[in-house]
Amino acid sequence: MIVRPATITDTPALLALAERAAPGFCTLPTNEEHVAHRVRWAQRTFAEQVERSDADYLFVLEDDDQQVLGVSALSGAVGLREPWYNYRVGVSVRSAPDLGIARQIPTLFLNNEMTGQSEVCSLFLRHDQRHGHNGRLLSLSRLLFVAEFRHLFGDKLIAELRGRADAQGCSPFWDSLGRHFFQMDFHQANHLAGLGNKASIAELMPRQPLYTCLLSEQAQAVIGKTHPHSEAALKILRAEGFAHKGYIDIFDGGPVVEAQVSKIRAVRESQTLSLSIGTPDEQAPVWLLHNRRMENCRMTAAQARQIGSHLVVDRLTARRLQLQPGNSVRAVPLLAAQRQAAAA
Amino acid sequence: MLVLRPVEPADLAPLQLLARDSTADMSSLPDDRERLRAKIADSRVSFSSDVQAPGGQSYLFVLEDPRQGTLLGCSEILATTGFTEPFYSLRNRRFTSTSREFNIEHGVQALSLCHDLSGHTLLRAFHIDSAWLRKPPAELLSRARLLFMAAHARRFAEAVVSEMVGYSDSNGQSPFWDAVGKHFFDLPYAEAKRLCGPESRRFLAGLMPQYPIYLPMLPQAAQDCVGRVHPDAQEAFDILQREGFETSSYVDLFDGGPTLYARTAQLRSIARSVTATARYATQIDATGHCLVSNEGLEDFRAIIAERDGQAGQTLALTAEMLAALRLNEGDPVRWVSL
Repeated sequence: MIVRPATITDTPALLALAERAAPGFCTLPTNEEHVAHRVRWAQRTFAEQVERSDADYLFVLEDDDQQVLGVSALSGAVGLREPWYNYRVGVSVRSAPDLGIARQIPTLFLNNEMTGQSEVCSLFLRHDQRHGHNGRLLSLSRLLFVAEFRHLFGDKLIAELRGRADAQGCSPFWDSLGRHFFQMDFHQANHLAGLGNKASIAELMPRQPLYTCLLSEQAQAVIGKTHPHSEAALKILRAEGFAHKGYIDIFDGGPVVEAQVSKIRAVRESQTLSLSIGTPDEQAPVWLLHNRRMENCRMTAAQARQIGSHLVVDRLTARRLQLQPGNSVRAVPLLAAQRQAAAA
Repeated sequence: MLVLRPVEPADLAPLQLLARDSTADMSSLPDDRERLRAKIADSRVSFSSDVQAPGGQSYLFVLEDPRQGTLLGCSEILATTGFTEPFYSLRNRRFTSTSREFNIEHGVQALSLCHDLSGHTLLRAFHIDSAWLRKPPAELLSRARLLFMAAHARRFAEAVVSEMVGYSDSNGQSPFWDAVGKHFFDLPYAEAKRLCGPESRRFLAGLMPQYPIYLPMLPQAAQDCVGRVHPDAQEAFDILQREGFETSSYVDLFDGGPTLYARTAQLRSIARSVTATARYATQIDATGHCLVSNEGLEDFRAIIAERDGQAGQTLALTAEMLAALRLNEGDPVRWVSL
């Protein structure tokens, strides 16, 4: 498996993925023109022809038979072209000491505090491919990419994870809040958001702080909780150092997790090593590898053995990375240290 | 002949019976002996003080049947809201947002806590025995307050408001309270109203929501309460509406009931009332009825009287009427048609 930039020939495959992911996957709409437009834009991004505010790095996961099985993305910065909204879950204290009454009421504050931060997004892996290291490769390769091109990204990386919905895909948070201000159901709103209109929708939502006690109980219960389908992705990010600091999505209440780029494990522990070709032993840990290129970016996961400043990989891995012996490779163990120890 | 007069200490027990029966406005007419005693005391001080400008005075009136020695009802005026402690309302207004992209302007009603109605005169604590609802004595009980205000204008503000009790069901539950106030007070409706007497509203500042409450987010039953009058308060509402009070964008923060508003000088019983000289008549060829009051303070009296339809500087009154009004022939009276 490799992770590489999406190209225009991937458009049909991406559409097929979008259809599998629908409805909950709003950033890749099932609309050919939109997908093609996004891919073209991503290609310009990888060609370094766009500013950080507009940068959209779209990646695909591809097997050795050139089947596209997953998609993921990185955006250079959110909120610099159009406002980026979240709610922050804070607390309001209402009390009457004379009566012995004190209430702490979780309150939602609309804000633009993620403005300028980079975002990992658009992650989708075909359900039948959710095994082995595929999920980690697809998700964490973006972090290795950021490690390589630090100057192209912000101080923080954020990720908005899908919020909880019922069996019909309806969001109780939307039904209790957004729906009243924007007269449409969640799928429609999400669809419009995917077409790039999220800020316009946000403009119609209440700007004043909201007491959560005025939301339905079902809505209160899903605040900051992620959809079961996204729990695996959340776990991977958490292991890398992403944390939830009280920010949620304005539509479905899903959690926004964040991390200082310098503190993300994959970034902090990545090294640039010299590639050697050989036969890593059976016990060799799995590494996440990047050929350090932009337009011809290739990333993969493979067993490797570090010897000093060299990293020994097998011939197939080198071929996947389009690298020769002696080339520089950026590498980090795929699993965090304590998990490696447990795996061993 | 029923007579409206200022409350006296001896009225305490019957007043408490009225409070007990009253489903309306528990906060201004509490079924609590000590609080009623204090209310009577405050009223007597207000009637007997020399007042140059409206302050914290409260004037409590009772409607008496002198022959039976019973009280049929009561009503009160607070000279100035917000004088001794803050006066809170919920302002119901539209918050608009605009979407450039979709070219729509979208308005949402929201309720915000405010003190906008401070500095107004307040009519409150209106209660009449149910046997007299929709009959002239109810008009007397409510509107005589306005005759009093006309007679003693400098004691009152230029605008006057009245909070109408909002809807609650036959079990005493308020859907508006359950959807809003309860979350902040953690008390049932009746308990909260009981706690919230005129003397102890200051805790509201610390408990009531300080951010707007968006109406569409509330359950429909709660939304329907906004501006809705309790059936038992409908008569009080109708009398004041006929006087020229209008519904405003303000509602009560407990039950969502409407607050009525008017400019004092434009109220019918104030604008249309005329002063005249009392004239003794053995009988009156009645073509209609009117409300008549003397121009007194502590000895203020008001009654319903027949009118003989003659315009003029004098008003014909029988001996019984003069006695009820504590007047002699030649004394000033104020009257307005019923």
